[in-house]
Amino acid sequence: MTESAQLAVLGLTAEEVEYARRFLRREPTEVEWAIMDAEWSEHCSYKSSKRLLRSLPTTGKNVLVGPGYDAGVIDIGGGFVASMHIESHNHPSAVDPYGGSATGIGGVLRDILSIGTRPIALVDVLRFGNITESAHSQWLFRNVVRGIADYGNCVGVPTVAGEVEFDESFERNCLVDVACLGVGRKKDLILAEAKESGDIIVIAGGSTGRDGIRGATFASRNLAKNADSERSSVQVPDPFMKKLLLDSILEALETGEIKGMKDLGGGGLSSALSEIASKGGTGIEIELRLLSLREPDITPAEMMISESQERMLLVLDEVKCKRTLKILRKYEVPYATIGKVTDDGLLTVKNGGEVVASLPAGFLAEAPLVDRREGTLPAKCGVAVEAHAPRDLSRTLLDMLSSINIGSRRWIYEQYDHEVGIRTVLKPGRADSAVLRLPNGKFMSVKADGNSRATGLDPYNGAAGCVAEACRNVVAVGAEPIAVIDHLQFGDPGDPAVYRDFAEAVRGIGDYCRGIGLPIVGGKVSFYNQDELTIKPIKPSPVALVAGLIESREHITGQNLKSDEDEILLIGKTRLELGGSEYYDRIRWGGPGKVPVADPETDRRTNLAILGLIKGGLARSVHDCSKGGLGVAIAEICIPARIGARIELKNAPREAMNAASLLFAETHGRFVVSVRPEAAKDARKLLDRAKVPNAWVGTTGGPTLVMSLGGKRLVRLDVEEIAKAWESGIPHALGEAA
Amino acid sequence: MNIGVIRFPGSNCDLDVVSALSATKCLAPKLVWHESPDIENFDAVVLPGGFSFGDYLRAGAIAARSPSIARIKRLAERGTPVLGICNGFQILVEAGLLPGSLLRNSGLKFVCRWVTVKVENTHTPLTRSLKMGQLLRLPIAHNEGRLFLPDEELASLRKQRRVVLRYVDDSGKLSASGNPNGSRESIAGICNEDGNVVGMMPHPERAADPIISPDGSTDGMAIFRSLATLSL
Amino acid sequence: MISNKKAARDPEGDVIHRDLVKSHFPQAKSVRVGKLLRFNVEASDSLEARDLVRRMCDELRIYNPAAHDCQIGMGRLIG
Repeated sequence: MTESAQLAVLGLTAEEVEYARRFLRREPTEVEWAIMDAEWSEHCSYKSSKRLLRSLPTTGKNVLVGPGYDAGVIDIGGGFVASMHIESHNHPSAVDPYGGSATGIGGVLRDILSIGTRPIALVDVLRFGNITESAHSQWLFRNVVRGIADYGNCVGVPTVAGEVEFDESFERNCLVDVACLGVGRKKDLILAEAKESGDIIVIAGGSTGRDGIRGATFASRNLAKNADSERSSVQVPDPFMKKLLLDSILEALETGEIKGMKDLGGGGLSSALSEIASKGGTGIEIELRLLSLREPDITPAEMMISESQERMLLVLDEVKCKRTLKILRKYEVPYATIGKVTDDGLLTVKNGGEVVASLPAGFLAEAPLVDRREGTLPAKCGVAVEAHAPRDLSRTLLDMLSSINIGSRRWIYEQYDHEVGIRTVLKPGRADSAVLRLPNGKFMSVKADGNSRATGLDPYNGAAGCVAEACRNVVAVGAEPIAVIDHLQFGDPGDPAVYRDFAEAVRGIGDYCRGIGLPIVGGKVSFYNQDELTIKPIKPSPVALVAGLIESREHITGQNLKSDEDEILLIGKTRLELGGSEYYDRIRWGGPGKVPVADPETDRRTNLAILGLIKGGLARSVHDCSKGGLGVAIAEICIPARIGARIELKNAPREAMNAASLLFAETHGRFVVSVRPEAAKDARKLLDRAKVPNAWVGTTGGPTLVMSLGGKRLVRLDVEEIAKAWESGIPHALGEAA
Repeated sequence: MNIGVIRFPGSNCDLDVVSALSATKCLAPKLVWHESPDIENFDAVVLPGGFSFGDYLRAGAIAARSPSIARIKRLAERGTPVLGICNGFQILVEAGLLPGSLLRNSGLKFVCRWVTVKVENTHTPLTRSLKMGQLLRLPIAHNEGRLFLPDEELASLRKQRRVVLRYVDDSGKLSASGNPNGSRESIAGICNEDGNVVGMMPHPERAADPIISPDGSTDGMAIFRSLATLSL
Repeated sequence: MISNKKAARDPEGDVIHRDLVKSHFPQAKSVRVGKLLRFNVEASDSLEARDLVRRMCDELRIYNPAAHDCQIGMGRLIG
């Protein structure tokens, strides 16, 4: 193969090729080019995003491990830690939704495991095209959910929460994100570092084949027109092997013999070896003939970049490794010692004794950063213009409730075993976020949120809004937010408009987290997400996952009405902010709208006040207002216990706006709280003292929901009708019974 | 009472079962690897839920050929209580210790939700301190929970009163809406002729602590406490 | 017969072979798992029938060409 033809096969840019030649002062070998291609892919190196990401706040008093390692780790007290990580498998899932989503779970589980913690929960965050109209999106949706279910259920880690958004821009580039939460003891934490020369490198788990070759680079380039012919880019899930790896490694961790661990994910061996050597300040030497192979004719270059699933890299002491290996044998997990740690700072790869690659680990791990051009923002689109209120708001509310972006997600989560592990205290569908019990007697709440429509119109506030919403959801169950991880998903960074959206989103998230005092302990960036037919980038889709801590079980609070003799309070001021809202989408409003502004100062105060209500035993139920605004929020809380309400909104804190806008605006920082009648006065006093706008808006009870504004009836619906509409969305779109 | 909780490669609910049994404060559970000869020394054994051998080929099919099965059969012959939960039930059926087969749910999807079951037999170690007709709230989580038996086998099962639990709807009645997976005659759990081997699809270990039950149910604990009364 | 592509892994086949078959029947060297669909079609000859089924599988996405091989045969299976 001629040199230029060879290089054309790789995804390296001309600048990177030049940089490599200059730095090494020689021509790299074929294997070395492959290694650089994998490790310097966007997915592994963050070359387009690193500079901007450095501006994010990542430290906090409980943060033990921040971004840059396999998972973020926070101290949760009592000698215990919690780990969090998020992964995406967008491109593989668009081609093979079942295998792509399943292996996505495999990937994120490995990250949590490799840091020495036990995975205890999964969260799936999905985006598809409009399943009401598109058979293709239906196919993707059904199979992604099935893939996540089959894999997660088999490995025995409950999928306890999730989020799904449907929008045309994801028709041909669906987004599949999976996040994982783990717990462990602080003393058992393992970092992905090879520190001591002489230690051995062991690869445990599946054998190496050609699957996923060009996976990391596959993700970094747009899906080819003939996606179906991408021969080895799809990976076959093997949850059984993963379960064996999980059990054996968790058992081996107790021996204390494991000195370093890293999962083999994007970029395969190239990425894993260069990173652990670079972090440890050492070198690594491996012999490829010792690697367990599935295909006999695989080349050395392919071996280095293969992304075969279910492989874990362990760094063990040369001598004190017997117990670990014995445990691997007990679970019948195949393993091979392929090399050792050296002190020369080089990644040296031998094939049958002959050196085929020798590159400085630091050089590899620090890809040359790429300067991307940031386009200018379009003229301010955030003009708050109101749509006329429709005549029949009851009809509109039912329509909103049956929207696939709002209604019940039961079709999805009943396919997930969300109970295994007996830690799930608040199950899916019962509250704003999931709550799990921790080994130290405390509880953890997790929620992920994204909003592509809002971010598409206003990337700064839309992105900040994702964090704001996730925080609210965690606060609503009585938890104090302690950390966030983000996933930034955008189109081609070479497009200045896309890069500008990305930069604004990063700024929005950074400013909000700084303002509210939340550290970002990890995250991922996924570029090159675009519709392959129209070449239009997806709507910018940052996603934030927030974890919160609940100290005592008394504080765990559900979202739904419990009694037909309670009072309802509305907390927070409603602004004329309907940009990107579900309402404007439903009524096909083509005009502009203001995207809700996420103000960390206000939110900090409001969240604290809500937690004050909860800890003071004053709140019976708490539900935050998000998609569909307060109209949908109030309707939702009537459903599980079939308790209606009589609502009068005349005192609701708000800007001037018509009734429909009031019901469906998606302003941040608002909650609907039910309280016992005798607690109402104290609750309002607490809120007033905290300078949080609030109002008494009604009482619970009866079989209907009636909402009025200054005596004028806006909505009158039977709770049964509300329940039916809310349950119907996704099943109807799929042609199934609710 | 020493109870062995058997972990097969791929078992998921073993630690959950150990935890729930310990919480009874009168049972001494121990996790035991499926290849261990110690299995024969226990006063009772539990085959927990999960995906043994990945559920490859058929759920429970490969585990049913594990060396543990011969030992479990000997225990069963001696009258030792043997409980199979979910995948454990599937393994017992594949191994021939219980009749029938557990097929794919009629809805063709994995189902994870809380159900109501009715106690139909109070002579097994797991139900001896419960009442006939008692309603229990327990969660299910399975893909292959539909019990199938040919007519004659079903008839003899009924005659010998070997149906232990049946799915019912919220009002306690047998109905299509109360049957989550299409199981014949809404059967959720059965036992062998001697009544010491019991298999059930619902997970009692997930209903043993009120904090993780959506309505505070501890019916799972009642099932385990039943077992504990044997040693008194 | 729909099965994973030859070059792709077949974890189910591997485990069935390793944990079930191998120890009792060492003569079995490997096992691959697939899904068999029997189509009953109206056609004038076997070539047309085969072609019809091929088009069904391709156009209706009965298998995913990104992950699976699809082999079409005619005739009986021995019971």
